[in-house]
Amino acid sequence: MSLAEPAALPVATSAAPRLHVLKRFSAGFKASLPAYLLLLPSLIFLALFTYGAMGRVLIDALYQRTTPKAPVRFVGLDNISAVLADPAFTGAVINNLIYAVGTAIPSIGLALLFALALSRTNAVTSALRAALFLPVLIPMVAASALFLFIFLPNVGLLDYYIGRLLPVLPNWLGDPDIALSAIMVITIWKNAGYYMLFFLAGLQAVPEDVMEAAHLDGAGPFQRLRYIILPELKPTFLFVTVIATLNAVTQVDHVFVMTKGGPSNSTNLVLFYIYQQAVEHYDIGKASAATLLTLAALMSLTALSFRTLANREGGP
Amino acid sequence: MLFTRRLMLGLAMAGSMASALAFPAIAGEGPTEIDLFFPVPVDGKLARDMGTLIKEFNETHPNVKATAVYTGSYDDTLIKTRAAIKAGKPPAAVIMSANFLLDMQIENELTNLDSLIKADGTTKEQFLGQFFPALQGNAVIDRSVYGVPFHNSTPLLYINADKAKEAGLDPNKPPQTWAELTDWAKKLTKREGDKVTQWGIAIPCAYDYCGWMMETLTMSNGGRYYNEEFGGEVYYDTPSMLGALTWWNDLIAKHKVHPPGATPGPAVSTSFISGNAAMIMLSTGSLTYVRDNAKFAYKVAFIPRNVRNAVPIGGASLIIPAGLEAEKQKAAWTLIKWMTSPEKSGWWSRATGYFAPNMAAYKTPDMVEFLNKNPDAKTAVEQLDVAKPWFATYKTVPVRKNLEDEVMLVLNGKKQPKEALVAAQKAADETLKPYNAETSLKLP
Repeated sequence: MSLAEPAALPVATSAAPRLHVLKRFSAGFKASLPAYLLLLPSLIFLALFTYGAMGRVLIDALYQRTTPKAPVRFVGLDNISAVLADPAFTGAVINNLIYAVGTAIPSIGLALLFALALSRTNAVTSALRAALFLPVLIPMVAASALFLFIFLPNVGLLDYYIGRLLPVLPNWLGDPDIALSAIMVITIWKNAGYYMLFFLAGLQAVPEDVMEAAHLDGAGPFQRLRYIILPELKPTFLFVTVIATLNAVTQVDHVFVMTKGGPSNSTNLVLFYIYQQAVEHYDIGKASAATLLTLAALMSLTALSFRTLANREGGP
Repeated sequence: MLFTRRLMLGLAMAGSMASALAFPAIAGEGPTEIDLFFPVPVDGKLARDMGTLIKEFNETHPNVKATAVYTGSYDDTLIKTRAAIKAGKPPAAVIMSANFLLDMQIENELTNLDSLIKADGTTKEQFLGQFFPALQGNAVIDRSVYGVPFHNSTPLLYINADKAKEAGLDPNKPPQTWAELTDWAKKLTKREGDKVTQWGIAIPCAYDYCGWMMETLTMSNGGRYYNEEFGGEVYYDTPSMLGALTWWNDLIAKHKVHPPGATPGPAVSTSFISGNAAMIMLSTGSLTYVRDNAKFAYKVAFIPRNVRNAVPIGGASLIIPAGLEAEKQKAAWTLIKWMTSPEKSGWWSRATGYFAPNMAAYKTPDMVEFLNKNPDAKTAVEQLDVAKPWFATYKTVPVRKNLEDEVMLVLNGKKQPKEALVAAQKAADETLKPYNAETSLKLP
């Protein structure tokens, strides 16, 4: 969803030239007017659909409506404290942290591995790249429906093969200890090919002459990877990590299709919790409060990582 | 002369303007366009059947153009309907899970159908008299009609007759009590060492289905799940429900004849079709799917009792959301009456496996012939004599989920039944608190 967009703001402000004299400012403004004009359409849409919505959430979070008979009343920060005291929310936050780490690291690792293995372009690697990228093209809902059959207990594809090996067949989506991992597998499967693209692009940017020099100096493949390729890929790493973290919070289609957060809230993620509060519990106040908390966490995280990124690029 | 010419000219202009403005509203020209939201909660090709039904309606009613809109599960349909109402564009009619009607009425989201019934020159009693009495509990709220029963269900016990014979059991004398069912399940479970290759029985537990199955077991254990007269009370922490959950848990933990964990409905029906589970408890809504796909002889039977024979109603009613223009309301009412007529509800029943709520449907020649060929379709109707309303409370979905989350923990061996039910009751009381504070606890 649009949770990721506001993150662009801190970059724009910090990257703006710092001008102290009014005269110079107006001259600079005149010069950059066309740029602002070009930005205007996006700004209008952002204002309408992102900042406007955020403002509305801010207001909604301060009010509470219980039953249709009771009037909507101002409750201040009560919704926020209610959300923080809700074990389902704290559970969803913990699930989401596990999910974020557990999907980001393997999918980024796999992506790097794929990219390194397929960095040279020829017929075979192109075909393999396409094959690995295929899961990205499948809509999340369709992929989830597919995995629903694979994970079907006793009679699904997975149990059909693994069932011969295991003494007890796990109920993949029906056991609170396993269900979250099962969902994570889909995310990794789906995202690894996507992140591979970024790494492939990053590898293109590794200077050829440096590599050649290292080769002449007798650096082996491992040394080249350790001392040249990985440092060169650092910005890519950072970027992909941000994307992976945001994905972990914004992708919930599979939860919706496969488990509805169950069994017993074991696959409930923050965004799904917000959805539940808003449409199942009909509790807009609590849903808005949870949205605010999530937004605050995501924005600070993104600001932090972009700052690190900017420092790296601008630094000596 | 001039005056009249001017007047004529003016009148003509005004007339043409008025007709241009009023044409869409008069609707003498085009048919009234309405949407029907419909869910597909069970296995089978219901979406295609719905297309066939609506096409026939449109062909026979030139004044109305109905469009069937698929809206997912029962729970999703409630959510989408609410979203549409909030957006100011409610669908004209919805096939709504019968137990959501009370919640929607509390939220002022339903059209009271009394006046539409009256305008037809019938009384409420005559109108409701068409339907099986067991269904009225979920259609009538505070003596007003809010829903028209369309397709309804009861849970059934499905038995793989071939496997039963193999195990030396007589499928024509299905288990009638929980003790007999446990015994059957033990005889029907096959093991290779520790590994189970065939389960004796499987009962679905996923959000929505799980609550319904708990209600089923609780009722046949002599109890009730909720207060049928008032939307603010549920009875989770009671002996009847504790006994029900303990028995279910024993099938898994003690007897090891039921697959562990929470299993969704489609997985249970697939297990039955593939021969992996010899008996299952499932809605009669899945009957046509089983009939079309089972490659073995099967039987359907009443849900066995512990204390008494009793089952909850399931399925859906047709409703008209609040906030519609009169013209669309009227068109929706025409559609609803057509869909719930003996012929059409009978046709739908044969296509899906749900039973037809309209009693006259069972007197139509098509239905008589069908029942002669498929006697298994009679079981759910016979079971109606002992059927009770489907649970319905303020905030039905969260209140139901308060129980389901705990039941899932028990079925996974993570909690004991008693401790789970105490936690469920506490959570549900918390969810119901605002409603009770506004109604039952509010002192004058």
